[in-house]
Amino acid sequence: MYDGMEVALNGLGNDANYWRALGEGRLSLPKCAGCKRWVWPAPFRCSECGSWELAWQDVEMKGEVYAWTRVRHPFGGAEALGLPYVVASVALPQANGIRLFGLLEPGDDAAIGLKVTGKVRTTHAFDRDVLAISWSPVA
Amino acid sequence: MSTAVVGLGVRQYKRGAAPMSEHGVLVRAIVDACEDAGIDPADVDGFVTYGDDKNEPVRLMSDLGTKELSWSSQIFGGGGGGIAATFGVAAAAIISGQAKTVAVFRALVQDNSGRMSAAVMAHHLTDYIVGVGLTAPAVECAMRAQRMLEHHGVPRQCMEDLVRASYYHGARNPKAVSYGKELDVEEYRASRIIAEPFHLFDCSRENDGAGVVILTTAERARDLKQKPVYLKGVAQGTGKGWGDLLQNDADYASAGFKSVSRRLWAQTGLTPADIDVVQVYENFSAQGIASLIDHGFCTYDTVGEVVRYENLIAPTGKLPVNTGGGNLAQGFIHGIGTAIEAVEQLRGTSANPVPGARYSLLAGGPGAPTVSSAIFSTDTE
Repeated sequence: MYDGMEVALNGLGNDANYWRALGEGRLSLPKCAGCKRWVWPAPFRCSECGSWELAWQDVEMKGEVYAWTRVRHPFGGAEALGLPYVVASVALPQANGIRLFGLLEPGDDAAIGLKVTGKVRTTHAFDRDVLAISWSPVA
Repeated sequence: MSTAVVGLGVRQYKRGAAPMSEHGVLVRAIVDACEDAGIDPADVDGFVTYGDDKNEPVRLMSDLGTKELSWSSQIFGGGGGGIAATFGVAAAAIISGQAKTVAVFRALVQDNSGRMSAAVMAHHLTDYIVGVGLTAPAVECAMRAQRMLEHHGVPRQCMEDLVRASYYHGARNPKAVSYGKELDVEEYRASRIIAEPFHLFDCSRENDGAGVVILTTAERARDLKQKPVYLKGVAQGTGKGWGDLLQNDADYASAGFKSVSRRLWAQTGLTPADIDVVQVYENFSAQGIASLIDHGFCTYDTVGEVVRYENLIAPTGKLPVNTGGGNLAQGFIHGIGTAIEAVEQLRGTSANPVPGARYSLLAGGPGAPTVSSAIFSTDTE
């Protein structure tokens, strides 16, 4: 599903490895191969050292909620999620605070700073299956 | 050389109620603006728009009788971030001699061009976004608003007060959708939640219509029909660490104006204290507040004292904001109404005038990847 040109159309920048890993249930994020910085969204060229190479690394799906909203209006494209649903941006301290979107499930305790752990899920939008991260509060 | 606004035209309707197609409504508004200025529509030789407007200037020529299309342009980005930038590129064209008379315009008739919110989101619809239901600007902006409230401690009351002030002005503006209708605060609080923390009334309305602002040289402006309103300064863009970054922006809960406002103040030599009246593009209430913070009208610490209902009201408030009613209460043709109100304040024709106003600030597109701000003035240079 996330091969070749379709990745370029569906993702952002140089992120094929992200989607490939997510399809295997893993989270992989890029570091610059030159200056070893975490970089996100995945660039083609490191803005700091000019390197054209990325070193992808598996990252544990653990983080804390940086921002969130509980959606109660039936917006187009989100029908498969039901209402309400909670969208969260989750910061990953182990990857220098890179923030990744996800669904917070369950979302009742949504709050900034909430510790969460993630897994990959499939949802459906615009007549196709889409991979997403489902974050849950750490027990 | 400086430039001045000489003509204003606006046709606004309830969504779905435009009496003709988008193209027709736009031609009407351009002709209105030309009549307002006292110029022949055929003499408009430049056009600029923003936000993915679909009306290519060349297609307007047979309606307007355009003698020569000398220059046309559009600002990148699907949101309202380009609204003030249009004046910058129009002035650049005039000052460099590429055009003499430029119409800044935005037209939106949704039977023709679809829902604007969907068009804005179309710029960002990757799988990251659609996979988590982030398919509307309201959701994106709600997340940033939530951070502004929960992390930065901006009082929820500020959102309510900005909405109340908008409706106060809109209720007194015959051109506003909300004319004659005061906001019932209890109704606001009880209104359904769209995406937390936004209630229905925190979200801008979408209207059908078209708005036009005509710019020409300051020298020529002096011979035309209206009191000229000069473009004092304008800045667009964004700084490093902000943009289309899957919400990995530095200063995440801001409206993205930090670098733009810094350049605007440096360019004009003005400070927030010099500004008499402000029009902020508020797609959502919280983003309007974030714009005020970004421009230096207040800080996270003082926002609760500054963004207060009484303070935002013309003419008695110290910081009159969205004096036509803004996108929330005047109507929302993708924000062009805020630009028109910014000029009307200096002409003295606003429905809620700020007496003696000399500097009027317009801020466009909070939260968008690129944003822009402009200052209009009664100063001749």
